[in-house]
Amino acid sequence: MEIKIMKNILDRNQNRANEVRSLMTEKNVTMVNIISSPGAGKTTLLERTLEELGDRFRIGVIEGDITTDRDAQRLKRFDIPIVMINTEGGCHLDSHSISKVLDLFELDNLDFLFVENVGNLICPSQFDLGETFKLAVVSTTEGDDKPAKYPMLFREAKAVLLNKIDLMPYTNFNIENFRSDLGKINAGVPLFETSFTRGDGLKDWFGWISRQVSGSL
Amino acid sequence: MHEIRIAEDLAAIVLETAFREGLSEVTSVNVSFGQLVQIVPDIFKFAFGEAVRGTIAANAAVAIEILPVKLKCSDCGSESELAGNLFACQKCSSTDLEILQGREVFIKTIEGE
Repeated sequence: MEIKIMKNILDRNQNRANEVRSLMTEKNVTMVNIISSPGAGKTTLLERTLEELGDRFRIGVIEGDITTDRDAQRLKRFDIPIVMINTEGGCHLDSHSISKVLDLFELDNLDFLFVENVGNLICPSQFDLGETFKLAVVSTTEGDDKPAKYPMLFREAKAVLLNKIDLMPYTNFNIENFRSDLGKINAGVPLFETSFTRGDGLKDWFGWISRQVSGSL
Repeated sequence: MHEIRIAEDLAAIVLETAFREGLSEVTSVNVSFGQLVQIVPDIFKFAFGEAVRGTIAANAAVAIEILPVKLKCSDCGSESELAGNLFACQKCSSTDLEILQGREVFIKTIEGE
């Protein structure tokens, strides 16, 4: 016999993500789901952002890490709430893992909750965490074909950071190809061309992210 | 490797349904994935096989349908299929689009006895 089921396989994740999103809206917290390959600069982005904006906004961080606490250790010097989620080999965070740790934050006293997802371009894009928006980070050393290869992330991202532009002369990265592919997938998406070590593009990034605080949206 | 987690969630739904319907064996599982979900069918089938090992769905055949991306233009209302990763209306070139299809992670039916 045939039995019709006709439902989203990821229902459980989606339902919990919807609950998280409602809670964030209620508490006026902007939750940013940061997605990139390993080594693109997610943790460094958080360091630079906390250095610049840590005094102006109340920021919390969830660090998703496969197996170590190294990223969380790097952020310890900032006086902010940080919670680490070890995925024990899992290649992405999900809404249940986020929901479980939200009690550890005083959400009434937060403007931003940055979630550093596990380094991976496909899997994290498929699991809604309940975030306010996704942020894609990519670096020139990965090659200029990432938007074309991973359209879902670049389509859904509210902004894209292209990092390590200082290294571009040492790679075959073609920035025109990158911009053109990104434009096809997500026309008009804000693109920040940055070097987190040299400082390029950071001023624009700080300005943009500051405007994403809840209430100013 | 998001295939693993999706396969695990699918296995739970399949087994729950099979028990509720009183099946003693699940012979096939029919699912649809949107093209944007980037499922690799062989990896998915392997992961599902692992997830249902030792259960009444252990020998189920998994049929995977991949759904192309369909877009609807918010300006002129026309619908088109995504071509060459260009998220723009093929009629009026607007980039204000709704994704009608292409993100599904969907179980349609199971068969068994």
